[in-house]
Amino acid sequence: MENIETNEKYHFSFKFKNSLPWLIPVFLIVFWQVACNLSWVNETLLPSPIDVVTNGIKLFKNGELQENMSISLYRATAGLLIGGGLGFVLGFINGVSRKARLLFDSTIQMLRNIPHLALIPLIILWLGIGESAKISLVALGCLFPMYINTYHGITSVDPKLIEMGKSYELSKKDLFIKVIFPGALPTILMGVRYALGVMWTTLIVAETISASSGIGYMSTNAEQFMDMKTIVLCILIYALLGKLSDFIAKNLEDIFLEWRAVERRNTDASETSRNK
Amino acid sequence: MPQKLLEINKVGKSYGKSVILSDANLVINEGEFIALVGMSGGGKSTLLRMLAGLEETSAGSIIQDGNKIQGLNKEARVMFQEDRLLPWMNVMDNVLLDKRGKQSVSEATELLTQVGLGQYVEQLPSQLSGGQRQRVALARALMSHPRLLLLDEPLGALDALTRTKMQDLIRKVCQDKAITTFLVTHDINEAVRMADRIAVIKNGTIWRIVENPYRGKESLGDKEKEVEISEEILAEILD
Amino acid sequence: MKNLKKSFIAILLLFWCGVAIYGWHLTREDAGSSSLKNVVLGYQAGDEFYISKIRGQFVKKMKAKGYNVKFKEFQNGAAMLQALASGNVDYARVGDTPPVSALAAGTKLTYVAAGGTKAKGSGILIRKNSSIKTLADLKGKKVAYTKGTSSQYMLLRALKVAGLSNDDITWVNLDSDAASVAYSKGKVDAWANWDPSVAQVEITENSKLLVDGTTTKALNRSFIVSPTTYASKNKTLSKLIIKYTEQDMKWANKNHSKLIKKMSADLKLSKKVVRRSVIRRTFSMHAMSKSVVKEEQEIANVFYDNNILTKKIDVSKHVQYLK
Ligand SMILES: Nc1ncnc2c1ncn2[C@@H]1O[C@H](COP(=O)(O)OP(=O)(O)OP(=O)(O)O)[C@@H](O)[C@H]1O
Ligand SMILES: [Mg+2]
Repeated sequence: MENIETNEKYHFSFKFKNSLPWLIPVFLIVFWQVACNLSWVNETLLPSPIDVVTNGIKLFKNGELQENMSISLYRATAGLLIGGGLGFVLGFINGVSRKARLLFDSTIQMLRNIPHLALIPLIILWLGIGESAKISLVALGCLFPMYINTYHGITSVDPKLIEMGKSYELSKKDLFIKVIFPGALPTILMGVRYALGVMWTTLIVAETISASSGIGYMSTNAEQFMDMKTIVLCILIYALLGKLSDFIAKNLEDIFLEWRAVERRNTDASETSRNK
Repeated sequence: MPQKLLEINKVGKSYGKSVILSDANLVINEGEFIALVGMSGGGKSTLLRMLAGLEETSAGSIIQDGNKIQGLNKEARVMFQEDRLLPWMNVMDNVLLDKRGKQSVSEATELLTQVGLGQYVEQLPSQLSGGQRQRVALARALMSHPRLLLLDEPLGALDALTRTKMQDLIRKVCQDKAITTFLVTHDINEAVRMADRIAVIKNGTIWRIVENPYRGKESLGDKEKEVEISEEILAEILD
Repeated sequence: MKNLKKSFIAILLLFWCGVAIYGWHLTREDAGSSSLKNVVLGYQAGDEFYISKIRGQFVKKMKAKGYNVKFKEFQNGAAMLQALASGNVDYARVGDTPPVSALAAGTKLTYVAAGGTKAKGSGILIRKNSSIKTLADLKGKKVAYTKGTSSQYMLLRALKVAGLSNDDITWVNLDSDAASVAYSKGKVDAWANWDPSVAQVEITENSKLLVDGTTTKALNRSFIVSPTTYASKNKTLSKLIIKYTEQDMKWANKNHSKLIKKMSADLKLSKKVVRRSVIRRTFSMHAMSKSVVKEEQEIANVFYDNNILTKKIDVSKHVQYLK
């Protein structure tokens, strides 16, 4: 009997734990709605959550919301794939070849220190104001975190494991697939997560360069006419998209780095038993 | 007359100005179990790494089957002091490494059963104890059918009980498979328990080679004689 | 459980890719066909080109003449002129002040056409209950404006009309969003601004115009400008654009209710606000004339005299009179 009870308690606390991260956002939204209803805040400056949602539904019904969201998603994804891919390849080459490292690394490190948003005027002059300009800007933003993390991940793989692989006659390909890449993967995935963050922030700015579509455009356009409902809606969409990509990144880490979770669980377990 | 597998011929090694080895000579016969003992920093690992082809000689040569070893020694497999298992692969994949196919899998299963890990194929290295991990490393080394097994203090980090068990296991497996084994250790008792011959490294050369008639017999050897030989070797080293 | 998570993430990623591909299609749709000559028109929401865009006739007529028209929306005139300078926009619909600043900065642009004014919808906003009753009351007050836009010219003209010197007021340079917040919080006493923002503030913030462009002669006229080399090579095209835009302007003047409905949806402003801003202006588009050049020259002179521009500009050298 007692056993069942403790089990239930455990179950309850587990559920409670799951909902804990949502507690503050939900409370804030409720508070915000109440504040609007009691007109503590000026609705032209901060519309109520319900207004924002109904505005969202209206924009969804006339198709504007989905179209702008999918266009933004396309730009973000294309930029991430191009920039992240390039960063990965560069990081890989420099991580593996000493000559390439000597040739490229200091230049890349120098370029890295230029805030990529400062390059907007140059990008407009070179690439114009079409899709390629926006995608390039996002790509540029994603390139460096991917480069740094790939490079760092590959160069910091335990040299003893690499020596083992070599002495066990692994081919270059196998050495990379079985030893170097998995060893670098935790750091690389951290780069992916970071790049995803940069992707969204860059995209907002990129879409204010003469865009006629996308969430960033929706928001700047609304800004011009003080349409607070749409502005707040766009901010919420960004928050949601950011959270979604972080969720995906985190789960990719969980899936690909299961061995690390196991490792951590084991060291944790041995530590607690030692402490006891 | 035993067959000669490998000959260490006037080998020297120096890093910059510091001379680690000079004029080291040793013959390793096919199928024998030879141990190398000596002071810490005496160049034991360095010599083993040269046998594996992971390090170049500064002078002299190492000749295996009449050929000078240059680059990786493909006939040899090393078991390092640390297990060097890949933490992201399960036990089976660690043993297989780059080998594929049904036959390799059944061979790996057999080896793992032999080292007593038949039920652990799916586990990750982090889920095993230190001794179990070293047994996986042993199975991995045996997977490639090496003619020469190079052991660099593989049991150094284990507790005394596990250590004794592992010593017997390694000895038995190597004997069954008739693998020539070169064991580096700073534990003289371990050397005496396991090796047919014990080489003492000192002042950068192979100082002495002690025959160990009490090993390799079915009986666990004569305790008193073992102690006697151990003391003799210790005296040699510290002399 | 683990597999469930894996398939969930896989589905999420697939969905993500699907949506992104759909977005790619959407961006491709307006890429246009190939045999026609591409013409890029830059506009800001609510202006003359915007009306041509929403009416839809313009694109069809231009297509019949062999041109593929692409409309590009910009958030402000400066950004549009930057794009014009780099050859990404062929014709830009701008207000009267940005081209003067651009000319001073060395941009090679040519005035191609002139539109109507927003004289009645441009001026200095104050609250109805404000202590400021006349222009002279501005003395010692904080006035918001945006540097490099017609609001700066407006304010200079207003001070001149009132007989005040530039130092008699506190100039608060804010972009339009910041200014709107500052004004609604009462951090500034007045705000030099133009429609439809003025109409919006008049209604939502219980405000009115202390003075408008008819008094100050800061008319806030519309212009179409083009890169100089482009303009000299494409006179027929320019004439077509003026002709068809003017047809759309006539339509706009006659069809206020349709226009207001469409504009309020696109600008996300209430119909009341849009109506107010639409009925107090007359839409038009004509080739350049001597009198509008004189207006522009006046802006250049005033800016130069007040050290806003460091270069004297002769506007007439940058004008194309198309007949
Ligand atoms: N790459 C290297 N560069 C410079 N010196 C080195 C290098 N590798 C080893 N040495 C030096 O060579 C000497 C012998 O090292 P080695 O590892 O062979 O000793 P060892 O006999 O295995 O000692 P231990 O029993 O402690 O493992 C040491 O003094 C060490 O500092
Ligand atoms: Mg050593």
